Formats: sequence, C-alpha cells, structure tokens
Amino acid sequence: MSQTSRDVDPALLEVLVCPLTKATLTFQADSNELISYEAGLAFPIRGGIPIMLESEARPLEERERAKPKANAAPA
Amino acid sequence: MPEPSSTDQGHAQNNSAPHADQTTTHFGFQDVPLEDKADMVQDVFTSVARSYDRMNDVMSFGVHRLWKAHFINCIKPHAGERFLDVAGGTGDIAFALGRAAEQDARRRRLPIGSRADVTVCDLTPSMLVEGQARAQRLPNPYPQYETHYSWLCGTATGLALPDRSFDCYTISFGLRNVDEPQKALNEAYRVLKPGGRFFCLEFSQVVLPGFDRLYDAYSFNVIPRMGQAVAGDRESYQYLVESIRKFAKQGELEDMMRQAGFEHVSHTNLSGGIAAIHTGRRL
Repeated sequence: MSQTSRDVDPALLEVLVCPLTKATLTFQADSNELISYEAGLAFPIRGGIPIMLESEARPLEERERAKPKANAAPA
Repeated sequence: MPEPSSTDQGHAQNNSAPHADQTTTHFGFQDVPLEDKADMVQDVFTSVARSYDRMNDVMSFGVHRLWKAHFINCIKPHAGERFLDVAGGTGDIAFALGRAAEQDARRRRLPIGSRADVTVCDLTPSMLVEGQARAQRLPNPYPQYETHYSWLCGTATGLALPDRSFDCYTISFGLRNVDEPQKALNEAYRVLKPGGRFFCLEFSQVVLPGFDRLYDAYSFNVIPRMGQAVAGDRESYQYLVESIRKFAKQGELEDMMRQAGFEHVSHTNLSGGIAAIHTGRRL
C-alpha cells in the first residue's frame, strides 16, 4: 500500500506557502511541483508529500520565471 | 544511506568547545557549519526511521510513552482544532492528538463532521512515509469525527505554512535537533493564531542531585551500545545522547520562548528533569 500512486492532499496544497518568502505557491500538475515565483524555486512532491526544502528545490529556468497571469486560459 | 561520519572522534571530550561565531551550531558535541546540520540530522533519522519507536522503548524502558501521554493530557485537544506537529516523524503524537480530539467530539456529542486537522511536518521524508502508512492502518472508532492528517516535509525554521493558521503547535523530541532553535520558536509563534498554544516536549536537565551522575553513566555507556544491539547503529544513538546534553536548560528555553513573543511561558519537569514540557501562548 505504501508505494501506490498517491495524490497530494488538496487541502494541504491550498494552504502551503513558500518556506522562504511565505508567498502563495502555484501547483503545476504536469511536473508535480509547487512553484514559488518570488523565490524562483520549484518544490517537488514525492509520494504525495510536498518537499518544502530549499535544498531539494529546483531553481526555475529563465523561461519559467514569468508568473502566469491569473486570467490566463488554463493549458 | 551512509552512517553519519560526524561522530567518529572525540565526542565526549570536547564538551566545552566554544562557539567561534554564529556560523556553526551543535551536532552532538561537535561544532559543525550551520548549513550542514540539517543534512547531518537527516542522515541520523533516515538511518533510524524504522527502528525509531522500538529503540525509544528500549532506551527509556517505555517511559517515553508515559511522557507522551502526559504531553497529550496537558494539551487537552479539542474537536475542530488545527494542530501542527513539527518534527512529527512517524506520527505518534499526531495520532494521539487526533484520537483525543475525536474523543472530545464524541463526549460533547458534536455534530457529525466536527473533526480536527493535524498537519505533520518533518525534515526526513522516510519518517513521513512511515507515518502516512501508519495513518492508513489506524483503528477508526469514530468515523463521523475522523481526524484529517496531512504530511509535509520541511524545516522547523522555515515552515511552508501561513501566518496565524494553527490553534496549537506541538514539537516532541524535535527542538533539540533543530539547527537554530530560536528561529524555530519564532516560526512557531508566526503560524499560531492569536490565542494559539505552544507545547514542547524535550529532554532537559536532570534536577535531582545524585541522579544526574547515574543518568550520565547510563546515557554515555549504555545507550550507544543499545543502539548498536537493537538498531545496528551506534553513531546515531551516540549523537542522540550528546545532543541532549547540549540542548538549552529549562530556564534558557523559557527565555527563548519569551524572545519569540510567547506569553504565559512555563515548564513542567518529567522524571526529575530527564524531560520537560514547555508551554506558552500567543496572545
């Protein structure tokens, strides 16, 4: 049971903030990451557990750094 | 995962090594660069995750269970409260909080759905995976009040949680392992709602004369050997013993809590000060 595909808890996703800037995060479903545009970091989610460690986060590439507009059509 | 190589040498001798500057912190009896401590602590807990609860039983002759039960009694969890358990590892405190909140809901015959919410935050993913698996096997006597658990990996000094969002913050045998405890206390204060309560259960300083020497002898001679025998891991348990001696004493921890902004700060010694419960409130 422990290694079945486990989705991250949606209630948790809603409340999480960036551990560095405390700004809200954007969940990116295709890469399964939580994006902090302010910190320029993408935090991974592994086995349904958000890994909110700076040391584990992926620095955003230049093209990823623009924060999508709130009214942009979802892909 | 390699064993932490950090405790290879001179652990018991350099007790008084001074802090040269602010960029080092304690790792057991060694001073290590601040940025390394989180990784080193993570190595320790990755290596003990599976045997952690069993080892605690062996080391403390089961007394840690009594301390934890007392801790929950002090907290008196209520239905509908939001709890954050930091360094919550495999979830034993979280499950006890959840169960107590469910019992509270049942006792007060609250409406269906009056449930508590417990967020567990830990530095070590393997501890959380173990906790998550345990949550699925929990007995569920009051499904109408079933506690909601969530699991998140992070540091106590940089919580990925919003300001003023929890009724109760707990940290049990965790603050000692944090690289900057003052920062962790500041974060605890930040995420608590006004009126929110802080509870810390941690090893502390033995206050009974004579007992302290016996306790030292047991800690340094017996516990690392038990670690070897039960968990096959002497170094990690050597670290645990050293880190206990290095941690803030009762009064020092109270001062740090006040520094973070807490009021009504107090502590209760357990087993002659082997452990202590510190409490405070955000007003």
